[in-house]
Amino acid sequence: MAKACNWLHVESGDGEFIPSLTTISTCLTLSDVQCDGYVRLLAADIALDDDKEPSAILKVFRGLKLKHEQTLPGIPTAIESLYIDETEPKTPVIAVAIAESVLFYRHLKPYFKYSIPQLEPEELEAEVWRKLPVMKSETHDALLASLKDLDHAKLSRKTQRLLQLPEEEREAFIKSHKDSPVGRVGNIVAMCCLKRISSDANPPSHLVLATDLGDVYILEPQGFNLIYQGKVCSYETAVPSLISVQGTYETDFSIVVATRNGGVYLLRKSQNEGQELLKLNTPLTGLLLLPVDQTIVLSCMDNRFLCYSKRGKLLYQVELEDLPVCILPLSMTHLGVTLVAIALKGGPVKFYLQRYLVDELHANETVDAMLYGRMGMEDHVLTLITQTGDIQIKILRRVTRFEPNADALKGTTMGDKKLIVDASILDKPKKSSIFVEQAAREKQQAKATYGSFQVELWRLRHTAARATIDAINSSESTISGDLTHAPVKLSAEVCGSGPSFRLYLTVQNLSTFKMASNLMLLLHADRRHYTITQSLARLPSVLPGIPLRMDFEVIAVLDPMDKLPPPSLSLDNSHIRVMLTKEGQAKPLIAAAVAMPQSEAAAAF
Amino acid sequence: MGMLHNLTDLIKIKKDKMTILVLGLNNSGKSTIINHFKKSNDQNAIMVPTVGFMIEQFYSMGVNIKAIDMSGATRYRNLWEHQFKNCQGIIYVIDSSDRMRFVVIKDELDLVLQHPDLSRSVPILFYGNKSDLEDSLSSVKIAAALSLENIKEKPWHICSSNAISGEGLGEGVQWLVQQIRFAMLSHKSGHKVKSKHIK
Repeated sequence: MAKACNWLHVESGDGEFIPSLTTISTCLTLSDVQCDGYVRLLAADIALDDDKEPSAILKVFRGLKLKHEQTLPGIPTAIESLYIDETEPKTPVIAVAIAESVLFYRHLKPYFKYSIPQLEPEELEAEVWRKLPVMKSETHDALLASLKDLDHAKLSRKTQRLLQLPEEEREAFIKSHKDSPVGRVGNIVAMCCLKRISSDANPPSHLVLATDLGDVYILEPQGFNLIYQGKVCSYETAVPSLISVQGTYETDFSIVVATRNGGVYLLRKSQNEGQELLKLNTPLTGLLLLPVDQTIVLSCMDNRFLCYSKRGKLLYQVELEDLPVCILPLSMTHLGVTLVAIALKGGPVKFYLQRYLVDELHANETVDAMLYGRMGMEDHVLTLITQTGDIQIKILRRVTRFEPNADALKGTTMGDKKLIVDASILDKPKKSSIFVEQAAREKQQAKATYGSFQVELWRLRHTAARATIDAINSSESTISGDLTHAPVKLSAEVCGSGPSFRLYLTVQNLSTFKMASNLMLLLHADRRHYTITQSLARLPSVLPGIPLRMDFEVIAVLDPMDKLPPPSLSLDNSHIRVMLTKEGQAKPLIAAAVAMPQSEAAAAF
Repeated sequence: MGMLHNLTDLIKIKKDKMTILVLGLNNSGKSTIINHFKKSNDQNAIMVPTVGFMIEQFYSMGVNIKAIDMSGATRYRNLWEHQFKNCQGIIYVIDSSDRMRFVVIKDELDLVLQHPDLSRSVPILFYGNKSDLEDSLSSVKIAAALSLENIKEKPWHICSSNAISGEGLGEGVQWLVQQIRFAMLSHKSGHKVKSKHIK
């Protein structure tokens, strides 16, 4: 495979010193900071030495050469380069998100600082702060204890700090901080750009900010006003960790936010409350909303990369050999494709076109951060920052074409079926042509279809009824013939002269040692002739030799006017069917017909 | 007699036109170099990125040169190969300050050299342009970085240049014209003249 040469590796000159860089993907950006058409690499070099305070330096590289350095006032979460207006020459502004504010640099000089709005403190907390300075120090403990009931994350930073302090230092802290506001502010945890319009080459952009309180803001950088406010999740605090935006502000946009708990939410222009798309059990390492097909690509800690539609439906998933560290979209406009680059633990970087692996690279160690775009004079440059801080620059060859080869296509379609089963997606049949034709036929000949269905239904019922009659008739005797159970004898006696009768039934176990249990007596009569108050009786276990006697009340139905039995009653059908059944057995043990005497009309009164 | 023949041939060539292909990545200074060769009243004051290609004519070293100025932009680089058949010489312009893109320059050069339409011996002139910039590399270093010593079948020459002031441009073209003449002569007289690199 001639895959290795799809990317040209930029080698540093002999003896040239390449500065090392510790950073993350969000703290890398490309910008034409000097407005000379040469796009430079900007990165925040984050120093996290154990013995020193963490600090960050903004570095500007021209090619591989470090050209400019600038200390940042904190650890940035993200860096973006954006254009804020249409005036020529177009000057990019660098936005650096640090804690609750966004710092803007123009020509690498501080230009503006924007802080996200403060939230109202909890009632109780404000009350505590009103009381703390005026009350005696002995009562402070009780006051602070009352704060424990509140969610720690919802307290202001000042209070959080106070609660952490040892008791002897609290007094001084309260004294020095009593007048500062109690409001709480979220930290910016993710930031990205959203273009205002799509027509221009470098249109002005808005900034999308996500805070750890679960808010999403869109900042308009000309006047630094908030023009959109949203909530990631309406019913719980979802702390965003990753964010991806597509679309343009003027027409329509969608913001996908992944939270620390593995939830993925979608916000739109028209809807500023996040809609939960999915929730994964494993933490996510990367989130992308791809521009072309508007699918959401996630990489997750269980060595998979997944693709979901915007409705939260899993489209495909690919098993990876190792942990995905970072993920990057590579939009190749000249080829009309968008690849997804996934850097895995250990050094491999894989390039996927949808689910198909089209290319791979091997860095000598784990790649921590990646960036792709126009750099210098070249359009398709991939920058890799490894764990030890090496900067590697790869340039896409002009003649490269990314196509999944035939083997991969064949292989993955085979693998697909397996994957779908893994993903526990129901293998629902698609609307086949047979189904569609049948639906059309049913629509055309609804009457005939209904008729034939009814005919078949009645035929089924008829068959069932005939089988029932057969079953009852076959057990027509007074002694049960089933050899597997204890033989049972049933005898009946009718007392009374009508219209109310008493039917005595005697059940006798004929066996010498077996017990007859779980028996039921069922009485059945024509409803027009007899009314049976209790037609079903569950019998206790019948011991051998001891007869069990039950009585049932049967009332003969008489015409209320002339006190005569209904005309349909004849000698042939004036009987009550008695069935002795065993639980769990469809066929009755004994089915007997008890002939009823003619009812005396007058006796009703 | 042979001597006289050669002389008349030389005179004949003088009236002939030479077609030279100017290649190189975008922003390396191709159009600026050609602009420098043009008559002073034809020169453009502002250079803009070339779209597709431009054909320019100029008179230098006693030869009428037709230069095909190809665009170096990525999306136009596939047009280069269409001109390979009817060119007699190639000028490959390199931005000697753009260290990062040397791999791209090398890759594009390899594509040119491997093209079947250029299997004949065509002289190649490399300009290490923008020699005035502080980051620029010397022509020796460029030759090493691009491993030009591996080009065996074609005569080549590298010189550093500054297209804005015109420094070094004349030297390069002189070499190229000589080489083309040489090739034409050997072709016409049927003699096999082995071309050598001149450094």
